Amino acid sequence: MRAETHKVARLHAILWGIFSLGGMIAAFLLPVLIYLTAIAYPFSLWPFNGAKDPSFLVTGHLLGALFIFVTIAGSLYHGIFRFQSVLTEVGLLKYRRALEAVGYFIIFVGIIILAYYLGTWYLNGTIR
Amino acid sequence: MSQDIATIRVTRYRPEKDSKPYFQEYKVPYRQDMVVLDALNYIKAEMDGSLTYRWSCRMGVCGSCGANIDGEPKLTCASFLHEFKGRTITVEPMTNFPVIKDLVVDMEDFMEKLVKIKPWIIREKETPPEQGEYKQSSKELERYSQFSSCINCMLCYAACPIYGLNEKFLGPAATALAYRYIEDSRDQGKEVRFPIVHEMEGAWECTLVGECSVVCPKGVDPMLAIQKTKILGATNAIKSLLMPRGGR
Amino acid sequence: MYMVREWTSLFVSLYSLIFIYGLSLWAMGSRADFLNFLKNPAIIGFSLVALVFTMYHAATWFYLLGAISPVKIGRSKTKPWQALVLNLILLVIVSYLAIWLLILR
Repeated sequence: MRAETHKVARLHAILWGIFSLGGMIAAFLLPVLIYLTAIAYPFSLWPFNGAKDPSFLVTGHLLGALFIFVTIAGSLYHGIFRFQSVLTEVGLLKYRRALEAVGYFIIFVGIIILAYYLGTWYLNGTIR
Repeated sequence: MSQDIATIRVTRYRPEKDSKPYFQEYKVPYRQDMVVLDALNYIKAEMDGSLTYRWSCRMGVCGSCGANIDGEPKLTCASFLHEFKGRTITVEPMTNFPVIKDLVVDMEDFMEKLVKIKPWIIREKETPPEQGEYKQSSKELERYSQFSSCINCMLCYAACPIYGLNEKFLGPAATALAYRYIEDSRDQGKEVRFPIVHEMEGAWECTLVGECSVVCPKGVDPMLAIQKTKILGATNAIKSLLMPRGGR
Repeated sequence: MYMVREWTSLFVSLYSLIFIYGLSLWAMGSRADFLNFLKNPAIIGFSLVALVFTMYHAATWFYLLGAISPVKIGRSKTKPWQALVLNLILLVIVSYLAIWLLILR
């Protein structure tokens, strides 16, 4: 029983480590992604002034794909992880197991889908 | 002519007589330099001897007089009446603890946790006194001295919403103390303490609210200790994954 | 209070999920579908709100980094607000670098 909880705690330690990494990503990379996609592109501001097209959002753009993957995956993980604790603080402690399962499921599915889209675009260079 | 008066609203509760707690108001002569403890002592001495509360040193080092004053966990001996808005001050027992009587709370849970983390130096082998003291540099002292300031007043538990939701949570003070010993160069008890703080109900329950460090009267900063414990746990876990046999 | 800081996570998660949804429009349809999605006023509005919360997350995160790992300079230790300022500057630099690497190059 002791070894059991030790393993679970160790797993949690690693999950927390990833959460911290996600926090760094969300802090350093997410702002610029939102800026580019929600302000610069729609309003044709720098660095897209004049350009009608967000140049890094094309198939085959490796850095673009990597950037989106790391930023979105990291932010998603961090956000969901932290939101779990928000729900706990709001008093939903009883449903913690279920909420965690749902949370990790969303993270898992989200990252798989993200990797799939970006991966196939980069490899194929074409749209499905 | 008119004397300055402060109104103290105190929680009264006698489990064997009262079905639930209620407030009683006392009008106390107000002086600029009064603390809440002075007011309580005045009430008990001059007005109502049945008022029950803990106190001892009256100078913020014993940790006995914790209470919720106007909703904030504070030491009654360290809370000047003039700090609070208006002349009516509400004094309640510390949140998140069962009440024994009036302002006195049941500390059993905390005492158990305190013992659980073994708040003493653990050595694999004690050296005999003739060999002299365990020497420690000031740098080594710095690594944990802040966390040794804890006076066990439990204000951090009163402030912690997670502890309020989950009584099994090890909590700020206990975790900070465990960390204090883990970081003490004289201590060799990592093997013993690590599993306790890295249990699911140990450091991992903490969601970084931070209120514990806000209310701590001695600047222990338990939130920092818990975070550092988590970091230790995470790096430990990764190390044990990467070097399953070596690296100890 | 600390609650605002914690609720930033909701917006960060939602933004990520919505972004993935947008990408799915590209996958199921065409790139133009995704670009139109980005130009949708509701999406822009939400993204701006998300940006505000993200910046708040970044600021509180940097402050926490400063509180947890102060750096020793000579005899004194750095304070959290210094870490905040330093990391905000770093954020600007990283953002510029990202834009340079992704677009300007």
